[in-house]
Amino acid sequence: MPASLRELRQRRKSVMATKKITRAMELIASSRIIRAQQAAARTLPYTRELNRAVSAVATYSRADHPLTRPGGTPRRVAVLLVTSDRGMNGAYSSNVIKTVSQLRERFEEAGAEVTRYVVGRKGIGYYGYRGLSMAATWEGFSDAPTYDRAVEIAEQLLEDFLTPYEDGGVDEIWAVYTRMESMLTQVPRVRRVLPLEVVEGVHAVGEDTVLPLYEFEPSPEAVLDALLPLYVRSRIWFYLLQSAASQLASQQRAMKSATDNAQTLIERLTREANQARQSEITQEISEIVGGASALADLTEEAN
Amino acid sequence: MTVTTESTTTTGVGRVARVIGPVVDIEFAADQMPDIYNALQIEVGEGEHARLITAEVALHVGDNIVRAISLKPTDGMRRGARVIDTGEPISVPVGDVTKGRVWNVTGDCLNEDAGSFEVTERWPIHRPAPPFDALEPKTQMLETGIKVLDLLTPYVQGGKIGLFGGAGVGKTVLIQEMIYRIAHNFGGTSVFAGVGERTREGNDLIAEMIEAGVMKDTALVFGQMDEPPGTRLRVALSALTMAEYFRDVQNQDVLLFIDNIFRFTQAGSEVSTLLGRMPSAVGYQPNLADEMGQLQERITSTRGHSITSMQAIYVPADDYTDPAPATTFAHLDATTELSREIASRGLYPAVDPLSSTSRIMDPQFISHDHYEVATRVRQILQRNKELQDIIAILGVEELPEEDKIIVARARRIQQFLSQNTYMAEKFTNVPGSTVPLADTIESFKMICDGEVDHIAEQAFFNVGGMDMVMANWDRIQKEG
Repeated sequence: MPASLRELRQRRKSVMATKKITRAMELIASSRIIRAQQAAARTLPYTRELNRAVSAVATYSRADHPLTRPGGTPRRVAVLLVTSDRGMNGAYSSNVIKTVSQLRERFEEAGAEVTRYVVGRKGIGYYGYRGLSMAATWEGFSDAPTYDRAVEIAEQLLEDFLTPYEDGGVDEIWAVYTRMESMLTQVPRVRRVLPLEVVEGVHAVGEDTVLPLYEFEPSPEAVLDALLPLYVRSRIWFYLLQSAASQLASQQRAMKSATDNAQTLIERLTREANQARQSEITQEISEIVGGASALADLTEEAN
Repeated sequence: MTVTTESTTTTGVGRVARVIGPVVDIEFAADQMPDIYNALQIEVGEGEHARLITAEVALHVGDNIVRAISLKPTDGMRRGARVIDTGEPISVPVGDVTKGRVWNVTGDCLNEDAGSFEVTERWPIHRPAPPFDALEPKTQMLETGIKVLDLLTPYVQGGKIGLFGGAGVGKTVLIQEMIYRIAHNFGGTSVFAGVGERTREGNDLIAEMIEAGVMKDTALVFGQMDEPPGTRLRVALSALTMAEYFRDVQNQDVLLFIDNIFRFTQAGSEVSTLLGRMPSAVGYQPNLADEMGQLQERITSTRGHSITSMQAIYVPADDYTDPAPATTFAHLDATTELSREIASRGLYPAVDPLSSTSRIMDPQFISHDHYEVATRVRQILQRNKELQDIIAILGVEELPEEDKIIVARARRIQQFLSQNTYMAEKFTNVPGSTVPLADTIESFKMICDGEVDHIAEQAFFNVGGMDMVMANWDRIQKEG
C-alpha cells in the first residue's frame, strides 16, 4: 500500500537517527577495541609465567592438594560465564549462553548438577527472565574489567570450591568465555579452571632442555596454597579481558552491519517517499488540468 | 412497499438526436418528456436484426432533449431512431421465479427460455430505503468457521460486510468460500450480483452452486466487465430489488453477495464523465458519496427480516485512501482487508489482522473471552510490526527477552491465521475445515499464553483447529 508521504518521511527520519547512533557506536567500539586488546596482551607474560610455575609445582612435587586433586566424577559443577552488560553487540552474549546450555546438558547427562556464576547483565537477564537460579552474579564492568573484580570472582569461586559438597560446595569449576581470535572471529571457549588440569610433560619438550630445578620452601603444599589463588585470579582476569575485547569486536561488527542495514532501509524509504511525492504531484496536476479544460469547454459552449 | 408500478402504457415517443458511446440524447415532444430514471426503449436495426435497446433517463438538458444512458452497446443505433418511453423505471422479476435462474440487469433470464416460466410480479429497481423505524436494532454474530474472520472481524447477522483487496489477493475466492459456507448451512435465499467482474468467474460460480446444491435457492444477476457502464451501474440495484422482495414480502432472511462494488463506482464515474459532469477528487464523479449511499442504505435489515450482504471491494493500486473504497468503508459493519504482503507470504485467506475491523468487536456484543483474546492477538501483532524496523537494522538477537517471545508468538499467530478453505482445495489439495468459534478463541488463547511456544512454526501453517497443529507437530517430530 503506498503509504502517505508524511509517514514515509517520518520513518526515514527515525531510521536516520538510528543509523547515526549505530555509526557512533561502531566508531567507539573500534577505537576502544585496540586498548582492550593491548590490555589482554599485557597480562600474557605474567599469566604464562604463573602457569609455568603452577605446572612445575604440580608436576615436580607429589603434593596432595585439594586444588589439584582430581575429584572423580563431579556431582556439582560451577560454571562461570562471561556475558556483556549491554546489547548492541550481535550474538556475543547469546553465543556464550548457548555454549553454557550445551555444557549443562552434557553435565546433566553425566549426572552432575550445574550452578551458574554469571558475569554481565545480559546473562543475568536471560536466566532471571526464565526464573533459573544463579549462584552469584556480577555486573557493570563487562567492557572494562578491573583486576579487583577478577579477585572478587575468584574468591567467591574458591570459597564454594573448598566448601564440601554436602554444604553446598562445588566439585569443579568451569568457565565459558569468548576468546578473541581476531577482529573477525570470536569463539566461545569452555575451560576447566579447577581442579587444575595438570598436563604433565608439557614443559619437558626436548631431551636437551634443561629442566628448571625447583626446591619448595617451606613445603610444596605451602607454595601451592599461595600460588593457586593467584593462578585462579589470573585465569579469571584473563577470561574477563578476552571477553571484553571480544565484546567490543563483536559490537563493532554488529554495529557496522546495523549501519549498513539502516542505510539500505533509508534508501528504500527515500525511493518510496519520492514515488509517493511524485504521484501526489501527478494527481494534482491532472486534476487541475482536467478541471481547467472542463471549465474551458463550458465557457466555449456558453459563447 | 409491495407496490408494483402498474402502468405499461406507452406515454411518449421520441427520436434519437445524438449518440456518443453509451450516452444517447433523445428528443421528445414538450408535453411527453419522460421522468428521470424512466426506462426508454430504442428501436435499433431493421428486419430480422431489429431489437430494442433499453436506456435510462439521466438528465434533462433542455430544448425538449433528455440524456439517457444505454444499457446495451449502442452500435447500430442511428439518429432519428424511434424511442418509446415505457413510463416507468427499469423493473426486474421478483419472487420465487427468480430462484435458480440467472438474470441480467433488465430482468431477462439468461439461462432459460423466457417462455418456460411465468413472471407474475416485477418491481422497479429504484426504490426508497427502509425508514428509520423499520430498521433492525438487534445485533448478533454470524459464525463463518474461518478463524481469522470469526476472531478478528466478527460478522454481523444481517449486517454489511466488506472484503477489501487489491488485484489478485483472493477477494473472489473468499466470497465464493463464504457462499459455500454460509449459503450451505443457511435456510434462506441467496442473491448474487456479479458487477463488472470476469464472466468466467460467474460461470464457475454457477457450476459450483449447482454442485453444492444451493442453486435452487439462489438468484444470480450478472452485468460483467463487457457490459456498458450503464448496466454495471444498475445491476447491483436489480439484484438488491430481488433481495428486497424476499425480505419484505416473503419475510425471509436473505444473503446478498456483490462482487464487486468498486465496479459500481467505476461505472458511475464513466457515466458521470460521459454526462459531462465535472470530475471531482481523483477523477471520480462528484456525486460519489451520494450514489454509494443510495445503494448501501437499501441493503439493510428490517425488523425480523435480514439482508446479510457481503461485498467484495477492489482497492485500486492497493491504495485504501482512494475515494472509491474510502466512501464504501463508512457503510460497512465489518471490513475485512486482504493484504498483498500477507498473500505474497502464501498465507490465505490473506486477511490483514490489524486493519480489519468490525462494529461488533466490542464486549457488548461478543463474549468477554472473545474480545480479550482478539485484543491480545492484535497487541502481539502490533508490537511485532513495531519491532520489524529494529529487527531489520539490528537483528533479532538485540531484542529484549520479552520482545523475542512476542516476535515468536506473533509469527505463530500469523501462520495460524491462515486456514485451509473449501475453495482453495483445488489449489492446495487440502480439504477445507470449519472451526467453531469456541475452538478458535481457545486456540489463540493458548498461543498468547505461550502454551504452544515449543511447537515449530510450520505446524501452524494452513490448518484448522489446534488439534490439526498437534497432528502436524507429531508428524514433523517423527520425520525430524
